Amino acid sequence: MPSPLLSIRDLRTWFYTEGGIAKAVDGVSFDVGAGETVGIVGESGCGKSVTALSILRLIQPPGRIESGSVIEFEGKNLATLDDDEMRRIRGNRISMIFQEPMSALNPVFTVGDQVAEVARIHAGLGRRKAWDLAVETLALTGIPAPDERAKQYPHQLSGGMRQRVLIAMALIMKPALVIADEPTTALDVTIQAQILDLLVNLQKEFGTSILMITHDLGVVAETTSRVIVMYAGEIVEQASVTELFARPHHPYTEGLMHSMPHIGHDQERLNVIPGTVPAPTNWPTGCRFADRCPYSWDLTLRDHPPLYDVGAGHISRCHLAKEPERRNQPHPPLVVEEGVDAA
Amino acid sequence: MATEVARPRESPLGLTVRGLLRQRSSRVALILLGVIILVGLLAPLLAPYDPAAQPDIVGLKSLPPSLAHPFGTDPYSRDVLSRVLYGARLSLTIGILATFVSLTVGVAYGSVAGYLGGLVDGVMMRVLDALLSIPRLLLLLGVLVAWPHLSIGALILFLGLTGWFGLSRIVRGQVLALKHAEFVTAAQALGASRRRILVKHLLPNLVSPIAVAATLGVAHVIVLEAGLSFLGIGVPQPLASWGNIIQDGVDQIATLWWMSFFPGLFMVLTVLTLNILGEALRDSYERRS
Repeated sequence: MPSPLLSIRDLRTWFYTEGGIAKAVDGVSFDVGAGETVGIVGESGCGKSVTALSILRLIQPPGRIESGSVIEFEGKNLATLDDDEMRRIRGNRISMIFQEPMSALNPVFTVGDQVAEVARIHAGLGRRKAWDLAVETLALTGIPAPDERAKQYPHQLSGGMRQRVLIAMALIMKPALVIADEPTTALDVTIQAQILDLLVNLQKEFGTSILMITHDLGVVAETTSRVIVMYAGEIVEQASVTELFARPHHPYTEGLMHSMPHIGHDQERLNVIPGTVPAPTNWPTGCRFADRCPYSWDLTLRDHPPLYDVGAGHISRCHLAKEPERRNQPHPPLVVEEGVDAA
Repeated sequence: MATEVARPRESPLGLTVRGLLRQRSSRVALILLGVIILVGLLAPLLAPYDPAAQPDIVGLKSLPPSLAHPFGTDPYSRDVLSRVLYGARLSLTIGILATFVSLTVGVAYGSVAGYLGGLVDGVMMRVLDALLSIPRLLLLLGVLVAWPHLSIGALILFLGLTGWFGLSRIVRGQVLALKHAEFVTAAQALGASRRRILVKHLLPNLVSPIAVAATLGVAHVIVLEAGLSFLGIGVPQPLASWGNIIQDGVDQIATLWWMSFFPGLFMVLTVLTLNILGEALRDSYERRS
């Protein structure tokens, strides 16, 4: 197997807050192969966005990537790279598409200028050439009349158009990896589908790898080949997309799938996972999902589960791998006594 | 609106100016200010006499307005109209240049403090607090009294260097608020350096508030310079500024009313129009944001 494009080992990004150390990302390891699309799913606060920002080293104080974390990309460890070299990678070899296309664009510049700026920074192109390349790239993202649109300001474009502009900014240097952080969350459903199609097509065309960060399993199913499920700062399950949807192993993944509304099912109420994510300053000692889990028992409260291999390249951080028969005895979540809610 | 389609370029500053021009009061103010600036620029052509000439210190002194001297003459027999026109030129120049100095220093100081944040910001802001606690007029009086016969250049520099404190606060606040905006993170994610982010992404977003501060700042400097010249420590004789024309007639202010009325009128109109424009600019900008 060729060495992967991006290889993350034991990534820990901690925030030193007044309320204690918030271990937002706490020992995450995964790979992204060349040309592969990997999804990271999880609810708000699970650490997926912090993981994305850590890869680009965009963590602001009081946050810090702990020493020992390895983010290997094209033979370099990004976690320890010096600032100048890191800047040459951002937007050039790895770029990012943000969630809110309005706020990710600078309101006082035309969108053409903003796309062109990336090429001026990294390719050292002159104003004219960078502009032409920007218009060309905007055309690739399916913006009609790109030379006219390029002269407009962000507030003059629709949400979908703005997201295409952000995609053009991310792709103009033909990076090896694009991190898309909830790229469709702020868009209408119909536009969402168009943007996802666009990303998939551009990925095929350029051979770019995509790391798709989302809370939406639908987006994952549509675009990715491999899925990582995160919960409470760590990976709880990882599998190919077909395997994961066919045989979810971790009770959290199961819960996520059950909470998706289905068309055609007459549902009185949506299914929800009871409870909330524990505070990142005070992760439970046992399984971090134990207080919300319908199968938890004394072992899960006591021992932090490792990632178990459950077959077919599928790994899961759940003690059920050892005692699968307990899956037949669901019960209301156990009440956890000590300090889980202390924030 | 029918013109909606035919406006491909709409920069935020352009929108602010457009909003400004929609109001009748600011259009009138703009025209009036334009006339005063034009008068100042064309002073050598418009002035009927040399502003410093004292043709007949006995026969032509302290004359009331007449056809030959529409604004009268001063106790040194100089033509007040000519002096007021030249005064417009000098007072406006001082106002604009001193404000330019204030803007440069204030924007640099405020943006660096806001962008770097943390300890640097803390120290810079405490220094600013200390500077702000000294009344500007007192500071200027101290310098000018201790150091008489300053050149106009030095006067401009002092006026400018004592006028940036408030602006740098505004700039710092705006930079502080904007530096965590997502477009800044996005620019960072695309490889922009800190310097580039500050100069190319943050400062252009501050053009409107800076324009407001500049407009009001010019008005403030004009009043300040007039006050200092009136006290005899601003613009040195025989140069004419609105303040020292008034000063020339202050001994007999009741009889030589034209000596304070005409320069005063010009000054009031200038300051008023600048303030109207500044406020309108602010309204227009705040309405949009």
